[in-house]
Amino acid sequence: MGIIPQIIANSIIAGAIYALIALGFNLIYRTTKFFNLAHGALTVVGGYAMFFLYKELGWNVYASAVLAIVFAGFVGYILDKAIFRQLRLRKASQMVFLVASLGLLTVIQAIIAILFTSQFQTLANNSTESRVYTIAGGIITQTQAIILICGIVVLALLTLMLKKTMFGRAVNAVSDDEEVSKMVGIHTDKIIGWVFFIGSAIAGLSGILVGFDTGLEPTMGMHLLLKGVIAAIIGGVGTMHGAFAGAFLLGFAENFGVWQFSGEWKDAIAFIILIIFLLFRPQGIFKK
Amino acid sequence: MPYLIHIAILFFIYAILGVGLNLIVGYAGLLSVTHAAFYGIGAYATAVALAHYGLGFFASVILGIVITAIVSLLAGMVLSKFKDDYYALASFGFNVIAFSIFLNWESVTKGPLGIPGIDRPSLFGFTFSANETFLALAVVLFGAVYALAHFIANSSFGRVLKAIREDEKALEVFGYKVAYFKLAIFVIGAAMASIAGSLFASYITYIDPSSFSLNESIFILAIVIMGGLGSLRGTLAGALFLILLPEILRFVGLPTDIAAQMRQIIYGAILVLLMLYRPKGFIGEYEVK
Repeated sequence: MGIIPQIIANSIIAGAIYALIALGFNLIYRTTKFFNLAHGALTVVGGYAMFFLYKELGWNVYASAVLAIVFAGFVGYILDKAIFRQLRLRKASQMVFLVASLGLLTVIQAIIAILFTSQFQTLANNSTESRVYTIAGGIITQTQAIILICGIVVLALLTLMLKKTMFGRAVNAVSDDEEVSKMVGIHTDKIIGWVFFIGSAIAGLSGILVGFDTGLEPTMGMHLLLKGVIAAIIGGVGTMHGAFAGAFLLGFAENFGVWQFSGEWKDAIAFIILIIFLLFRPQGIFKK
Repeated sequence: MPYLIHIAILFFIYAILGVGLNLIVGYAGLLSVTHAAFYGIGAYATAVALAHYGLGFFASVILGIVITAIVSLLAGMVLSKFKDDYYALASFGFNVIAFSIFLNWESVTKGPLGIPGIDRPSLFGFTFSANETFLALAVVLFGAVYALAHFIANSSFGRVLKAIREDEKALEVFGYKVAYFKLAIFVIGAAMASIAGSLFASYITYIDPSSFSLNESIFILAIVIMGGLGSLRGTLAGALFLILLPEILRFVGLPTDIAAQMRQIIYGAILVLLMLYRPKGFIGEYEVK
C-alpha cells in the first residue's frame, strides 16, 4: 500500500509536464495541421535561455523566467515566418512539413549542445533546496507543485482565450478553414504567427519547469515532444481538455507501468499506448 | 590508408541501410522512421549467434534476416493501418519499443553493457580479420543488396510500387492488393537493414543499444531524403556525403565532439533547405509528398 500514494503523485506531476507540452503542440497543430516536431526544440530553447540568464548571468528568477519564455515564443514565431510560412505558401504536403520540422529539431538541439555542452545541467540551486509537501502519503516538491499549478493555469487561460476573445475566435476560424477565414478578412498569417508565439512560449515554460524538476539536456526536446504528441493524440487531437486528459492518462500509465516492470520500459509503454489508441480509438478520448 | 578503409566499410554499411530504406520511403512512399530497429535486430542476431552459440557469420546473417522478416511483417501490418504523419509517428514508436527491448532484454542482449568479442566472419577456414578483406566482404554484400534493389525497382513489382505512390486509389480500382505490395517492400527493405546490422556487429566486434536509437533512424532517413527519393544512386551520394562530413569537419580542425554536433547542424539544415527549395533531394526522381 505505502508506495501507491507516491506513484499517484509522480503520475500527476508527469501528467502536468506532458499536458503543458501537449497544450502548446495542440494549439499549433489545430491551426496548421502538421506535426511540428520543432516544438520539442522550443522546450530546450526555453530551458537553456533560463539557464543562461538565471545561472550564468545570475538574474532574478522571475525576470529570467519571463524573458526565457518570451524568447522561446519569439524563436517559434521566427521559425514560422522563416520556414513554415514559406512552406504554406508553396502548399507543401504534411510530409514536407514533418521532415522540415525534424531538420529544425536536429539543428536547434545541436546548436544548444555546442553552446552549453551536452552535459546534464540543473536549474535548481542546492542552497535553496525547495520545500516538500506531503499530501495523503505522497511527497511532492515545491517545484512539482508549481508545475501542476502552471498546467492548470495554462489550460484555463488557453480555453478562455479560445472561447471568449476575438483573437481566440479568429484562431478557431483559421483552424476550421484557413481559406474561408482569409476570404472573410482574417489576417491568417498574423494569427498563425501569434499561435506559434503562444504555443512556443508554453513549450519554453515547460522546458524551464523540467529544468528545475529533473534537469536539462540538449536532447530532451525530442523526448518531451514525443510524450506531448502522444498525450495530444490519445486525448483527441485538437481539443485542449483532451490534451490535458491524455497527458494525465499517459502519466499514470507510465508510472504504474514503471512500478510493475522497470524504469527503462517507460518510453516503450508510452508508444504501446499510442499504438493501441491509434488502432482501436484513433479519435482519442474526446472526439473533436 | 587503414583510415580510408574504415571509412569505406562504414560507407558500404550505410549504403545498404539507405538502399533498403529508399525502397520503403522512395518507392512505396511510406515515411518509415524505424529502420534502425531492423538494423539492430540483424546486429544482435549476429552478435548473439557468434558470441554465444558459435554459429558462423553467414548462418547468423540468414538468422537475422529471418527474425527481421517476421518482426517487420508484424510491424508492417500494424503500420499499414496508418497514413502520412500518423504512419511516421507510429514508426517512431516501433523504433522506441525495439530500442527498449535491446536495452532491457538482458539475458539475450546484455542490456546497456552490450556484447563484446564478436568474431570477424570466416568462410571455409578463411577469416576476414584484416580490414582489407572485410572491406571486400562489405563490397560483395553491398553489391548483392544493390543489385536486388535495382532489379526490384525495374521489375513489374517496382513499377506497381511507383504507381501506388502516385495514385493509390487508381491501383486499387485496377484490382491490385495495394496493402500486400507495401507490406512486401517493407519486409524486403527491413531485411536489407538486417544484413547491414550483421556486417556492423562483426566489423566493430562490439555492439550496444545506443547504435540503434531513433536518432539513427532519422540519420538513415536523412541519407535517403538528401540523395533523393526513388533514386538508388542518390542514396549512395547521400551516404557518401553524410559519412564523409564529420571526417571533413575534423580535418578542418574542429574537435571531435563539436564535429559531431556540426554534422547534426549541417544535415538538419540541409533537410530544411531541401524541403524549402528542392524536395526531390540532390538527384531524386520524386518529391517528398
